Amino acid sequence: MFKKVLVANRGEIAVRIVRALREAGIASVAVYADADRASLAVQMADEAAHLGASAASESYLRIDKIIDAAQRHGADAVHPGYGFLSENAEFAEACEVAGMVFIGPPASAVRQMGSKTGARKLAIAAGAPVVPGTEAAVDSLKDAKKIAGALGYPVLLKASAGGGGKGMRRVDREGDLEAAIRDASSEAERAFHNGEVYLEKLVLEPRHIEIQVLGDRHGHMIHLGERECSIQRRHQKVIEECPSPLMTEYPELRERMGEAALRIARAANYHNAGTIEFLVDRDGKFYFLEMNTRLQVEHPVTELVTGLDLVQWQLRIAAGERLTVRQEDVRWSGSAIECRIYAEDPDHQFLPSPGRITRLQEPAGPGVRLDSGIYEGWDVPVEYDPLLAKLAVWGPSREAAVARMKRALSEYVIAGIATNRAFFGEIMDDVRFRAGALSTAFLEEFFARRQPLPPEPEAEAVAALVAVLAQRKVSVARSTGQASAWLQTGRESLLR
Amino acid sequence: MAADGPGVAAAVKYHIVIDGKAAILSASGDHFAYHAEGEECVERDYSASPAGDGAWSILIDGRSYAAKLLGEGEVSINGRVFQVEVFDPRGPRGRRAAGERSGPQVVTTSMPGRVVRVLVTPGQQVAAGQRLIVVEAMKMQNEMKAPRAGRVASVKAEAGATVSAGDILVVIE
Repeated sequence: MFKKVLVANRGEIAVRIVRALREAGIASVAVYADADRASLAVQMADEAAHLGASAASESYLRIDKIIDAAQRHGADAVHPGYGFLSENAEFAEACEVAGMVFIGPPASAVRQMGSKTGARKLAIAAGAPVVPGTEAAVDSLKDAKKIAGALGYPVLLKASAGGGGKGMRRVDREGDLEAAIRDASSEAERAFHNGEVYLEKLVLEPRHIEIQVLGDRHGHMIHLGERECSIQRRHQKVIEECPSPLMTEYPELRERMGEAALRIARAANYHNAGTIEFLVDRDGKFYFLEMNTRLQVEHPVTELVTGLDLVQWQLRIAAGERLTVRQEDVRWSGSAIECRIYAEDPDHQFLPSPGRITRLQEPAGPGVRLDSGIYEGWDVPVEYDPLLAKLAVWGPSREAAVARMKRALSEYVIAGIATNRAFFGEIMDDVRFRAGALSTAFLEEFFARRQPLPPEPEAEAVAALVAVLAQRKVSVARSTGQASAWLQTGRESLLR
Repeated sequence: MAADGPGVAAAVKYHIVIDGKAAILSASGDHFAYHAEGEECVERDYSASPAGDGAWSILIDGRSYAAKLLGEGEVSINGRVFQVEVFDPRGPRGRRAAGERSGPQVVTTSMPGRVVRVLVTPGQQVAAGQRLIVVEAMKMQNEMKAPRAGRVASVKAEAGATVSAGDILVVIE
C-alpha cells in the first residue's frame, strides 16, 4: 500500500480524501492556491504544498506544479478527486512518468471516454443502447425528413461542434423541420464557426440515472447500482439519491442498466471507480450518455446504501490489490439522499455568493453525513466552483430519508453568505418530489409552482423580538464602555 | 425573568421591518405584543435565555424557539430565516449616526409606508438633524432627519406617495 498520497484538489473533496487516507494510515499531502492557504483540507492534511496564484489555471490545473509538489513531498501516488485534472489523460500519464501511481483509471480509458463521439461508438460496439440518431451532419432537407421520420417526432437538432445548448432545436413535426435546421445551423455557425447539425431522437421527460462501477487491475469488475440525479439546474446536479424511485416501478432496471454499464466499462479496459451516465425515459428505456472516469461528487449516497467505501477501494485498487467484493455480495439497504450545498442564491437565479462564513452550525445525529470544506470564519473564494458541502442522509425507506434530510437541513446554519440550504427544505416538502416523480425538468417546473412559505406568525414575532434583544444588548455594551467583562455580562443578564 | 434593562421602560415600542413588511413590537422583559401590518396581533408571555454568542432560546407557552442572529439583519428561528430591521424610536440607529460623512448623502426610508409631509425643497440649506420628510406606517409617524448639514440636492418623494423600504427620499450634498 502507499506511504504518502498527494491530493490534487481542494474543497470538500480534498477533505474527503484526506480523511480516507488518515483512516488507511497513509500520510496525506494537500495542495493549495493562494486563496486556499487556510483551507480545511490544508489544516487537516499531514503536509501541504503551495501551487501558485488563486486562479485555477495557475494552481489546480498546473500539471507541472502538482507533479513537482508530489516529488518534493515524496508522495508515491496522486488522487485527483473530481473536476480540475481528474479527467485529464495527460495528467494521468505525467504521474506515471514521474514514477507515481495515478489513483484512477488507465489514461487510455480517460482519453477514450473524453471524446463524446468516441464514447458513443464504444457504447454501440459494446451493445449498450444510445439515444437513436445519426452521427453524420444533415446535408439536405430530404435526408433530414427521412431520418426524422424514421426516428419519430419529436426529434432534437444538435450542433456537431456543439455544447451548452447552442445550435440545439426541438422539432415536433415535419413542417417545422426546414426552419429549425436553418435556425440551428446559423446559430451553430455563429457560436462555433461550424454550421453542421445532426439529428437525435428527443427523450421526453428524461431522468438522469447513472451506474457506479468498480473494477480492479486483475479483470474483476462489479456495479454498485444506480444514483438518480435528475434534479439539476443549468445541467448541474443538486440532489442525488439511491435507489432511484423509478426502481420501484421497474424492479429489473438496476440489473439491466448495471449489465450495460459493465459492458461499456469492460470495453474501455477500465479499472478503478467510474460512472456511466444514462438518460431514462418514462417507459424505463435507457440510453448511454457518457462515462465519468473518476470519483463522482455524489458518491456518498452509494456508500450509504451499500456500506462500501469507494475512496478506500480506489486506493486499494490503485495499489494493485484485488477487489474482494463479488457482484452477489453487493446489497442495497434503505435509501440515501444528498443535497449539494452551494454558495449561491436560489432566489436570484442561483447567483454565486462568495464571502466570509460568519456563523456555522452543522447538522448531526442519526443517519446524517456531512462532507464539508468550510468552517466559521472561512472566506469562500470567488475563483472556484461554489460547492461548500454535501449533506447526505440515510434512512430505512425513502420516506424516512426525506424526513431525516428535512430535519438535518433545519439544524444547519450557514451565515454570512447566501446558500441554497433553505431551498432544499422546500423541495423536501414538494408533493412531486415526495412522490418520486422526477425528471431533468423538475427544478424548472418546481419554480413555476413554487409557493411562498406559509406564514408562521409566532416565529415571525420571535424573530422581531430577538432582533430587539440583540439591539438592546449592543446599546448596553456601548454604554458600558470600558466595563470589565464580568460587569458587562452582569448588565446583559439584566436584559434576559 | 429579571426586570427590564437599565433605563428601559416597560413595553418600549419598536418599529420593525420584517421581510419587507412593517410591524410594531412592544416588548417588556417577559411580555411582547407584535403587530404586523394587516395581520392579527400576536401577544405572548415569553422567557428568553442567551444561548451562546448572538443566540437565544425563547420559550412561549412551552413552545421552544432556537434563535440566532446571522448578521446584517438576518435572524434564524428554528432554521427559518427572517430579514429583520429594528428602529428604536429613542435610539441612534434610526438616524444611523452618519453625521461625519462627507459627499452627497442619500436619506432613505427603512420602512415601507406613506409620505405624510415633505418639509424641504431642492436648493434649501439644512442643519444636521433638521426634519426633512415624514413617513407614516401603521399610524406611526417616522421623521427622516438630515444626517449632516448641507444643501438639499433633490427630493425624490411627494406627499401622499407610497414608499418601500430602501427608497431614496432626499439627497443632501
